[in-house]
Amino acid sequence: MTATPPRLTVTVQRGTEGATRQETFDVPAYENQTVLDVVTWIQQMADPTLAYRFACRVGMCGSCAMMVNGEPRWTCRTHVKKVASDGQLDIAPLRNLPVIKDLAADMDPFFDKWVAAEARLHPSAGRGDDFDPVTSQEPARAEADLGIECINCGICYAACDTVAGNPDYLGPAALQRAWTLFNDSRDADRDGILAAVSGKGGCHNCHSMGSCAQYCPNDLNPMRAIAGLKRETVRAAWGRKRDA
Amino acid sequence: MVQIDRHDTDILIIGTGGAGLFAALHAQQSAPEGTRITIAVKGLIGKCGCTRMVQGGYNVALGGGDTVERHFMDTIQGGKWLPNQDMAWKLCEQAVVRIHELENEIGCYFDRNPDGTLHQKAFAGQTADRTVHKGDLTGIEIISRLMEQVLARPVEKLQEHRAIGLIPTRDGSALAGVLFIDMRTGGFRLVRAKTVLMATGGGPTMYKYNTPSGDKTMDGLAMALRAGLPLRDMEMVQFHPTGLLAGDHTRMTGTVLEEGLRGAGGRLLNGAENRFMFDYDPKGERATRDVVSRAIYAEMRKNNTSDNGGVFISMAHLGPENVRAKFPGMVKRCADSGFDLAGGLVEVVPTAHYFMGGVVVDADTRTAMEGLYVAGEDAGGAHGSNRLGGNGVANSTVYGGVAGDVMGADIRHMGALRDPCPEVLQSEIDRALHPLSRKPGLVQPLRHALQEAMWEDVGVMRHAAGMERGMSRIGDISAELMEVGVAGDDLAFNLTWHDWLNLRSLCDISQAITLAALARENSRGAHYREDFPETGDLDASYFTVVTQTGGALDVRRDPVQFTLVRPGETILPEDAPETLVAAQ
Repeated sequence: MTATPPRLTVTVQRGTEGATRQETFDVPAYENQTVLDVVTWIQQMADPTLAYRFACRVGMCGSCAMMVNGEPRWTCRTHVKKVASDGQLDIAPLRNLPVIKDLAADMDPFFDKWVAAEARLHPSAGRGDDFDPVTSQEPARAEADLGIECINCGICYAACDTVAGNPDYLGPAALQRAWTLFNDSRDADRDGILAAVSGKGGCHNCHSMGSCAQYCPNDLNPMRAIAGLKRETVRAAWGRKRDA
Repeated sequence: MVQIDRHDTDILIIGTGGAGLFAALHAQQSAPEGTRITIAVKGLIGKCGCTRMVQGGYNVALGGGDTVERHFMDTIQGGKWLPNQDMAWKLCEQAVVRIHELENEIGCYFDRNPDGTLHQKAFAGQTADRTVHKGDLTGIEIISRLMEQVLARPVEKLQEHRAIGLIPTRDGSALAGVLFIDMRTGGFRLVRAKTVLMATGGGPTMYKYNTPSGDKTMDGLAMALRAGLPLRDMEMVQFHPTGLLAGDHTRMTGTVLEEGLRGAGGRLLNGAENRFMFDYDPKGERATRDVVSRAIYAEMRKNNTSDNGGVFISMAHLGPENVRAKFPGMVKRCADSGFDLAGGLVEVVPTAHYFMGGVVVDADTRTAMEGLYVAGEDAGGAHGSNRLGGNGVANSTVYGGVAGDVMGADIRHMGALRDPCPEVLQSEIDRALHPLSRKPGLVQPLRHALQEAMWEDVGVMRHAAGMERGMSRIGDISAELMEVGVAGDDLAFNLTWHDWLNLRSLCDISQAITLAALARENSRGAHYREDFPETGDLDASYFTVVTQTGGALDVRRDPVQFTLVRPGETILPEDAPETLVAAQ
């Protein structure tokens, strides 16, 4: 085990969309220190104008995701020791999204696609009805459960090369949520979900490169969900003829 | 002359936690067609705030012997007879409706029993298995599902908009609008609305150790105080006994290690690695939050502490593999931060978790000011002196929905938008711009100083001399803050300006907390006075009310109205068992 160097050399992307630059800061190293703590130290002690975003501090909200040494990570849950090589860190805003300022990315395109994927329950019952007795023993619900703990942090969206190459692509997180709903027996518009995910920016753009699954901090596998959607959209297109 | 962007809407909601998002959905259902609804938030929709951070779950009586009456009695007894009983009743009653709505209309899927019914567990202080949950990440399920429903609706969204002032009409009789800073540009925006819901969440982050989301700094209550609204139960700060302790320089410090660790048999060890809880309570580590917090605090005072000045939690005797299987999220979180929860010792410390105090409201979320409604952690009364685990998210979702319904109905009787008082508007702008006219300095050391003062003098255990000292320390810090400037050449996404405004809110509310804590000369729930350790006469229970007039704070004691049940009585049937929870 190597001793922690007393200082870190941290390169930070500054500026707004289309006008970015790199700045380097000398930051004290501590035993217990996350990448978010490093960013915080710079803003509080060295450069009060540094912009970034965080909220929960514990990996539940996904507000603080950034590129750390070129990889998307939750900065609140990334220990400096895990990622700093020779005391060097390189921090940039989340990839594949417009920059608002410095390390704060504009998440709107990510959530606009969430909406476009019909990624919300279309209710089949109301508050006066009983709960659906479906349990996780049932295969469809078990499939939905696999993807349900997504916190919409955008890590998979930043990791995805298909998003990088095709700005219309809905992306792994929105598609995964659509897949959980397709498997939710309570959803009243599963055809509508399939229609939403089979269009121009839909699931068939995915090349199964798997960066989404590789980088998901919650160990989810959006690629598997997208494969499911591909299967079901094809089945829906041909199914009627075949089933007849 | 400062430029102000002026914007009009009909229903304005501040905050996107459980209360704000439910209010948006219900307002849309209840308001006349064509009503403009706007939701504004200090961070991103559904991402900041604390609903998302709920681990435990959602208290609701769903049969199996449990009843709304039993839930209500637990809430009243847990709150040590201080809750507003009408609010507590509505909380318990409407939770039944709201949980069905969450499942059937919003799309949450909570854990099931093998027969398909909802799984419910019992938290401390409950006499029935009542807490509906989604593993130990219930808040993420609730807020993600609410968020996606609201995002898909035609509700105007103002993200990264920080509310800085409630602007009344010139005669002060009603609310005209809310002044915001658009954080992304640094510009001011005045939003007029016929009705405004304040649901910014409390969050006692003026303590050295605290659990809430980093954006929470009591801005809502500070605005309400300036607007002259009465705040109740301000001394009631709930401490969670086991916050992670990792040093002053990391934001990890203070974050919660869940209650279930102690419930499962986790041990607390002092600096010498000896168990100590049985010296304080026969239930040992399984005693309630307040008892464990005070015991840890007592060990800390005796300097029986770990390296960073706390105590240890130890799980290894339960078998590291078992711990990993039972608490995967907690073990992983600790591991990411460099700690071995399953096999090693992790330093913990009591941490300020929830704020029971808030704006005085009625059970329809209305306040003393026409046009202003308050719900969630910003509203006082439902929990009294102590909030039961699982009643927090029930409260925010129930009352957020109520606020949406009530605003949607009230707006039908309201005429035109109201004109804001120009003097109040100007004074709120001046207040926000104040630091830009001073020599730039560091804000963070003052925040630390405030957090030390509150922790030491108005914290887990309190006495008059300490609180008097605390009041004077807050006053000094507050005055120093007014001399610390922020460079104003680039106000876009200027977090340091917002750190200054955050600390301004925290100083103001810290004074209100201290004043209320001095006024309560007994020990109830979260409030423990070493110089007045007794509960006091339950029949003569009072709640504190803090108001601000002309810049000066005033506190009074109002008698609790026992509208549904008196101390010593119950609304449960005579033959009802004391508890339905099987003994462990």
